[in-house]
Amino acid sequence: MSRRPGWLAQHWLAVASPVALLIGWEVASAVGLLREAFFPRPSTVLIHLRRLVTDGTLLAHALPTLSRIGGAFALAAILGVATGLAMGLWRRLREGLDPVFAVIYPIPSVLFLPLVSFLVPRGETALIVTTAATSFFLVAFTTTEGVRQIDPLVVEAARHYGARGRRLFTAVLLPGALPFILTGLRLGLGYALIVVVAVEIVSASRGLGALLWLSWQVLKVEDMYATFLVIAALGAVLSYGLAVLRARLLPWAQDVAER
Amino acid sequence: MALAVPLGLLALWELLARLAVVSPRYFPPPSRVSTALVDGFTEGDLGGETLVTLTRLALAFALAAVPAVPLGLLMGMVRPVREAVEPYIAVLFPVPKIALLPFLMILLGVGEPAFVLTGAISAFFQITISTLAGVQTMDPRLLDVGRNYGAQGARLFTRVILPAALPAIFTGLRLGLGLALVAIVAVEFIAAKSGLGHLVYRHWQTLSTPQMYGAFALVGALGLLLTRGLRALQARMLVWQEDPGRL
Repeated sequence: MSRRPGWLAQHWLAVASPVALLIGWEVASAVGLLREAFFPRPSTVLIHLRRLVTDGTLLAHALPTLSRIGGAFALAAILGVATGLAMGLWRRLREGLDPVFAVIYPIPSVLFLPLVSFLVPRGETALIVTTAATSFFLVAFTTTEGVRQIDPLVVEAARHYGARGRRLFTAVLLPGALPFILTGLRLGLGYALIVVVAVEIVSASRGLGALLWLSWQVLKVEDMYATFLVIAALGAVLSYGLAVLRARLLPWAQDVAER
Repeated sequence: MALAVPLGLLALWELLARLAVVSPRYFPPPSRVSTALVDGFTEGDLGGETLVTLTRLALAFALAAVPAVPLGLLMGMVRPVREAVEPYIAVLFPVPKIALLPFLMILLGVGEPAFVLTGAISAFFQITISTLAGVQTMDPRLLDVGRNYGAQGARLFTRVILPAALPAIFTGLRLGLGLALVAIVAVEFIAAKSGLGHLVYRHWQTLSTPQMYGAFALVGALGLLLTRGLRALQARMLVWQEDPGRL
């Protein structure tokens, strides 16, 4: 999205279509074409969003969500990259773990909540570990692929020049797998948001998912829309922000998911 | 090796639970879980609940695929359509679709339409995006060659564009099906009173853990069967494409 002149002329529809939709919605709700009880006017939603921000409600719910995402992402990243590297390097480990992961991975993360709540103390820890589950598998899978796709010639050349052990790892294997690892981290972060909202709906009294659910239960429709807006913004920041960061860090490598 | 590790883990679990090293109340031995599974199918309603989940999944998938593939193709071929629709997809795609459930329940009431539609929306975006990518990333030389040989309009579409986009469409359908399953089971866990997701929740609340793990394993098997099955089908049907990738 560059700002060079002509961008707007080229992409005016991409701007006009959402604007038209919002104006149409506003008018339709105002004249009663849409039921305001279900489709509050965008301007009303903004007023409610402002109130949620100023009275501190939003912050009180956004902070737990952010810290859970942070904790889950850190857990998934550390364990996932370590497991993925190990699986990429040792064939036997990979062949042993592959079928186990293949069965567990497609299970929706929120179902892990009961199991996790037996293993670790209920409450915050259980929420974070559950949120980390799917992200962990994504990171581990992509890291394994990242190690496996390294050109064997490169590894051989490095070996001939005397690189082994730690040096081979830090100078050849890790940089070679890095584009894949970063793609895995990006996907994992996106998943952490998806799962945390579901987990908060089920078993938290604070957090954006909980706020959304509580607003639904008492039928505060405007607050539902406002909360949804915040969740959507968070999703956009997490997924597009990391894509931009990645493009800056690794300008030479295309995003693996976009191939 | 591929079987040894899972079997070894199960045997270890069985042993630890039998020796009460781990609490058999929370981690019942696999043999008891499989007994509960068999009992659930022969005497209980496990078959019925599985069917409920599968029906919801099929409806959601159809509701997503039927509009998403044409929309993706249209977006790929007609620039104004792409420009007008892309902002919504860009904003809504990263949103957890489960967050749409309360809105759908307000609009449609707490019931099947809201549950199924949540699953459908999850799949819809993925299928649209993959289809669009399939059209956009096709080799432009294919188009030129097709045109040079006189293919135009419908013929260009059915002979050149569609076959070129088909692998990506299929990948989108496969990923979409997986996402729909995740969303449906999550919705069942959270809001529905039937289906495998609800079974896990109910048996969690009553601490009937063998049944809980049984339903849990069934969801895993279902997911594995669908994703692996579709990938095998994709490799067979679309022999000209590259490996569909593992995710």
